[in-house]
Amino acid sequence: MDSYLLADADRVVARARAGDPDALEQLYRAFEAPVYNLARRICRTTEDAEDVLQETFFEVCRSIGRYREEGSLWGWVRTIAASKALMRLRRNKYRETEELHDEVTGRQREDTALRMDLEAALERLSETSRAVVWLHDVEGYTHEEIAAMMGKTPSFSKSQLARAHVRLRRWLGEEVVV
Amino acid sequence: MTHLSMDALVSLREAGQEPGDAAAREHLESCEHCREELERLHQRAARLKALPALRSARDRWPEVRARVMAERRHRRNRMAGLVGLAAAASIALAVAIGPAPGPVETSNADEIQQAMDRSQALESALHGYDPESRVLDGRTASIAQELEDRIATVDRELEVADLMEQQAREAQVLRLWRERVGLLDALMDVHVTRASNAGL
Repeated sequence: MDSYLLADADRVVARARAGDPDALEQLYRAFEAPVYNLARRICRTTEDAEDVLQETFFEVCRSIGRYREEGSLWGWVRTIAASKALMRLRRNKYRETEELHDEVTGRQREDTALRMDLEAALERLSETSRAVVWLHDVEGYTHEEIAAMMGKTPSFSKSQLARAHVRLRRWLGEEVVV
Repeated sequence: MTHLSMDALVSLREAGQEPGDAAAREHLESCEHCREELERLHQRAARLKALPALRSARDRWPEVRARVMAERRHRRNRMAGLVGLAAAASIALAVAIGPAPGPVETSNADEIQQAMDRSQALESALHGYDPESRVLDGRTASIAQELEDRIATVDRELEVADLMEQQAREAQVLRLWRERVGLLDALMDVHVTRASNAGL
């Protein structure tokens, strides 16, 4: 992944560690798109995702000297981005989502017949569920890793994932009546 | 027939074995409905991965760069300010000890003064060397940053030590100034050794 996103990654990292602003910008340009995509999939608004993008790269520039090259560069950047995005969710917790509201009003019953596309269904999940789905199913984090980033237990991550898939299945019209 | 719950299906996708997975797998072999459900789960995950990448409408690099540069300036100023801190601390110590110190205080005061002088000399040398303007390799930069962080911690502790009672303060201040000298020595070594290794 590193060489796909950034040719000659080792040399760029060495220059970035030495404080070369051009190398830092190369890191930004290489990872800007996947970081923003991850942030936007987790955060509710484009503004939040852009803030996460900025905070992530500020942290990358500050901490590049501490990057140990034990894993991939993208893995390291991605973990910073995921942590920043989850931090943003915790800060915005008051906005936690329409999903619970739907349950109270009983609107979810209508969804049984309403087929949504995957983008819309993902967007409709609660912020926590969406974050778990994205980090697990798309980014490939384990429940243990997600739990550590969220400050929760692996069981919490597993149950959020299962709950999210029940909802996605219903909203996508994939529920099979037995 | 009771079918597998979503928790069980989700668990079956994991690499490790969860309690109950063996029974769930056994059920799966004999239940077409659950096999299809698991397949749909796999397909949903695949479709999630295939969603188009979302792109930022704004270029945030100028903001990131401005913050990084501002922090660097702040760090440079802090390093320059450390020289001043040693001088200020020297004056403060002279005032605190007063004109007629006892024998124990004199001994501590002398040693503190020596440590401060040494610290000041090292900082002046370091300042003259101007490490911020030089290019460091990653490992050296990491060690230098760690040492600078530790010096900053010692400086904060020195400020706190000012609030302590005189005798305890002097012992603590002496310990901290010695630690500071050791860290500055190490920082100087890091920069100068790197420079000599690199033939600079």
